[in-house]
Amino acid sequence: MNEKISKSSAYGWLLQRITGIFLAFFLILHFQVLHFTKEWKLDFSVVTQRMNSTGWVIFYCIFVPAGLFHAFNGAWQVIHDYRPKAGTQSAVKTLLWILGIAISVWGYYLIITFTKGA
Amino acid sequence: MFESKSGFFGKYAEEVRLNPNVGNWSWLLHRITGVILVIYLFMHFFALSSSTAGANKFNTWISTLQSPLLHVLEIGLAAVVAFHLLNGLRITVADFFFLTKPHKTIFWVAMIIFLIFMVITAVVFLGRAFSH
Repeated sequence: MNEKISKSSAYGWLLQRITGIFLAFFLILHFQVLHFTKEWKLDFSVVTQRMNSTGWVIFYCIFVPAGLFHAFNGAWQVIHDYRPKAGTQSAVKTLLWILGIAISVWGYYLIITFTKGA
Repeated sequence: MFESKSGFFGKYAEEVRLNPNVGNWSWLLHRITGVILVIYLFMHFFALSSSTAGANKFNTWISTLQSPLLHVLEIGLAAVVAFHLLNGLRITVADFFFLTKPHKTIFWVAMIIFLIFMVITAVVFLGRAFSH
């Protein structure tokens, strides 16, 4: 056995499944509300009305980072299958973390925008 | 047909060619739909970002996106999401509940749910596309 096998890929595997289960439920709800209710005729006021509810704000506050983690962790798995060099691996990992966190922060800013209204 | 064992797609093609069963096909489709969804996520965030420029700007964007063509394309998006979601649940169920043996059966159950969902979605979305 290689003593140096990283534990982080096992966490990656586990977190991909946990976020995946959350996202499955979140996406079904997201899709149902936005495409199978009167909200399909979307405009700004429809969104701000929905964002008046604390429940929806909490929903999006989990949805955004969970979705981004799942997306970037998945992207990492694809990249990792090509067995890049160790240096490239850490550079790509760092880049994906920075991108993920930056877009999460931007997502929270958008949530605030919709909560405040026009 | 797929001679190359390396290269961006060659690796995948070889994998599926050597072992062309449900597990490998679904793995390839899971990967392709996953990459499409990452790209879509960027577009989704970009479109929503118009809200920071005010309600009018956001509404202009949304009304552009509510075109007949986009309603038809949304059917494709629904298919990509539904496949990734259902196949992902199948993988998770197989991993967590030691159901790797009946994974092929679970796959076909997932595909039946996929087909029912797609028929409903296609009927509703096509109705919207042609009601413009």
